[in-house]
Amino acid sequence: MEDNQEEVLEIFTQDGVLITTAPATYIHYLNNVGTLLIVEYPNSNLTRCIEWKPLDLTIDSDVQDQEWTVVSTVERRRTYSGSLPVDVNRSKHLKINMNDIKSFRVSHKNQKLTFRDGKGDNVCSFIFQHGNCDGLIAVLKGILKTIVSRRDKHVYCILDDIKNPERQQLDKSFAELNLFQEQSSAYVWKFVKNFPNRPYEATMEAFSKITDIVYRGPEHRLMDSEVHNILHRSLEAIENNTTTHSHDEYELIAHVPRLPALKEYPRGRPLSFEQWKALQDSEGQVEDVEAVKLVIFRGGISSNVRKEVWKYLLDYYRWKCSHAEQQNLIKQRNEEYFIMKLQWRSMTKIQEDNFTDYRERKSLIEKDVNRTDRTLDYFAGDNNPNLQVLYDILMTYAMYNFDLGYVQGMSDLLSPILYLMNNEVEAFWCFVGFMNKVSSNFDMDQAGMKEQLQHLHTLTAFYDPEFANYLYKHDSANMFFCFRWLLVWFKRELSQQDVMRLWEVLWTDLPCQNFHLLICVAILDTEKNILMENNYGFTEILKHINDLSGNIDISTVISKAEGMYNQIVDAEHLTDAVRLIIGLPILGNTSIVDSKEASPDISDLTTNGDTDEVSYENALTHSFL
Amino acid sequence: MSGRVNMRPTNKNALLKVVILGDGGVGKSCLMNRFVSNHFDEHSFHTIGVEFLNKDIEIDNESYTLQIWDTAGQERFKTLRTPFYRGSDICMLTYAIDDKSSFRNMNMWKNEFLYYADIKENSSFPFIVVGNKSDVSIEEREVSQLELETWCNENGIASCIETSAKNASNVQEAFKMAVQHWLRAESRADRTECTYSDTVDLSKKQSDVRNSCCAGATDD
Ligand SMILES: Nc1nc2c(ncn2[C@@H]2O[C@H](COP(=O)(O)OP(=O)(O)O)[C@@H](O)[C@H]2O)c(=O)[nH]1
Ligand SMILES: [Mg+2]
Repeated sequence: MEDNQEEVLEIFTQDGVLITTAPATYIHYLNNVGTLLIVEYPNSNLTRCIEWKPLDLTIDSDVQDQEWTVVSTVERRRTYSGSLPVDVNRSKHLKINMNDIKSFRVSHKNQKLTFRDGKGDNVCSFIFQHGNCDGLIAVLKGILKTIVSRRDKHVYCILDDIKNPERQQLDKSFAELNLFQEQSSAYVWKFVKNFPNRPYEATMEAFSKITDIVYRGPEHRLMDSEVHNILHRSLEAIENNTTTHSHDEYELIAHVPRLPALKEYPRGRPLSFEQWKALQDSEGQVEDVEAVKLVIFRGGISSNVRKEVWKYLLDYYRWKCSHAEQQNLIKQRNEEYFIMKLQWRSMTKIQEDNFTDYRERKSLIEKDVNRTDRTLDYFAGDNNPNLQVLYDILMTYAMYNFDLGYVQGMSDLLSPILYLMNNEVEAFWCFVGFMNKVSSNFDMDQAGMKEQLQHLHTLTAFYDPEFANYLYKHDSANMFFCFRWLLVWFKRELSQQDVMRLWEVLWTDLPCQNFHLLICVAILDTEKNILMENNYGFTEILKHINDLSGNIDISTVISKAEGMYNQIVDAEHLTDAVRLIIGLPILGNTSIVDSKEASPDISDLTTNGDTDEVSYENALTHSFL
Repeated sequence: MSGRVNMRPTNKNALLKVVILGDGGVGKSCLMNRFVSNHFDEHSFHTIGVEFLNKDIEIDNESYTLQIWDTAGQERFKTLRTPFYRGSDICMLTYAIDDKSSFRNMNMWKNEFLYYADIKENSSFPFIVVGNKSDVSIEEREVSQLELETWCNENGIASCIETSAKNASNVQEAFKMAVQHWLRAESRADRTECTYSDTVDLSKKQSDVRNSCCAGATDD
């Protein structure tokens, strides 16, 4: 059984599991976070084990990479889950034979799970840091005969004695009796096959749980067209509003996934000068960065400290630097800036004539600078010197990041920063910091934008399947109408003051990454009744959304988005697709099914074309024809 | 974004989809705004994403609703722009007379349009070439009228015009010309078929009364 070559079947895995009690041999693992697995060794008499392994960093960084660099996250994630690297370190895992476990207890709102032996002693306990152990319990109930203890309703006793009278009684009450006599893998397989017969209401949640199992299947059965078809048909059943009820066959997981109620999250007061000074020590270092960010997230920044705090938020200043170090850094950055500026300023006429790419950039920047925020006093009027500074910074940025160069939209991102800093060098470095956060918006192939639109759809579909379905049926699942919102972070929709408030809130990365997508979801949620009541199609939706410019109350939207965020993270049926987007660790029940689960319709965008670009374009094309 | 124009055509006009293409900064958005709301804003924003405006136009006692699509010109946004070419009835190729390279790029724009709009027979597709910023001084002019006509001849395009969105010169005429060109192409293509039958009608059969909340009376 210790043989690495041996066949291993992973029945269940979950990340983000903290181990708090373990047998003496594994004491070094205590209080570490890792992955909990239920595995089966088919060649060793079907031995089943509980295993736990510490966080695997290589896989983790892989997930992060893929999230932001490819359009086709679905494809990639599928590969990821389909071909988990063979774990040669398996022997180092904490491993407990399931036969030694006689009961388990669920506590702490289903976030803690303790396994006990026959004497009732705790063998090991785990805390599920993300979500809860419901998925695992469902799987355990599937592979073991369990009964709730009469003394403690949180304790499940495992019945291993076939002749146990209690067990026989129990059997009768299980409709899935036959299933349980088979190997767990076969059971799973049957589970999937029976899937179409299941009540439609259960489907959504069931998917995530089924994928837990399907994905660990021995022959990567998901790739099997049969499974694919089954899942597909089930999805159609949802569309057709099938409401057949089967009996409590799958009671285990059969309930309608519903989001918790939307709670109010009133906005707070902006970070004040006094608060800001209090959070710095005498050396100027900011100890509790998270506390600062939290205040900013809740209420933004007062205008009298905004200028300074933005430098931190945009990585120009370092949070943990003394005044002296800071001064040093500023000096360096200053020199660096003027070196880069000199590079283009010293370009001769002949050089320029021989450098088409440069010339084109220059002319585009010239044109766009003249069309950026000219209604603001700061940039108004002919020969306004601030326009020259705007131009110089963008030209220097094109030197700083020649591969990216200048892309339309950048001048919008720079304008409020320059306005606030009113200093060329500081504005440049803060702009660099902002660009580092959003550079994928300006990818040559627009992959970053396409991916965000896709993510936005996934979130919308999870939050409000009915609305997502409406969009799908009205050729708008591509979410293209949100393009401008996303490209320049609502710069064109809001007043200068409001956009500054929104940006500083978003820069905190609270309460989650990609919170700007939730801002979109919140606005769309506010508009959806108008869109649906008027039966708007793609062009009309585009028009309506474009015309919202100037009519968005950003404080209301931010607090609504926060409420929605909390609804989503508290949802029982939170999927990996959504987890990935908002930066929660995934549970391993990944990929295509997830994406479809959240949105039957997104397949147009992701799974049908030869390449993503083609399918995206198709989707967009179909959209408005 | 400027100009409050009703989104839906208010009557059952034939809806013609017009796409305005050309380099950034030649004045596409200004042309559209001048045509739709008779308004010119020298410092309006550069376009991000895709915008469109509707506007009714009357030609030979017949009303048409033009749905004018305006996009961002930078190469980078090509993949997000081109899907909107499909289903176009008219393509307006635009350059600025004080910008030679915008004139040279018209070939590129024409090809991009033909390719993505999936036009089989380009000989009959109603293109119109617009040289904008005709108000600039002679010193600033980089493209002559002769060059424009030569290019159009070489490319088999019958309609071209110089305009100024700034001082409202020839803008209504340009769009009118485009529709007339479209009418000729249509009747050539199929004389028997009703010209309206294959156009998209977004309206919900509200009334036949022409509702004048669609801004900007035609200045003919
Ligand atoms: N002199 C002059 N300038 C114009 C005219 N039309 C537009 N412009 C200017 O050209 C610039 C670009 O116009 P815009 O419509 O934004 O160009 P687009 O990128 O093609 O949409 C703006 O700053 C306008 O003020 C015109 O007819 N004459
Ligand atoms: Mg424009």
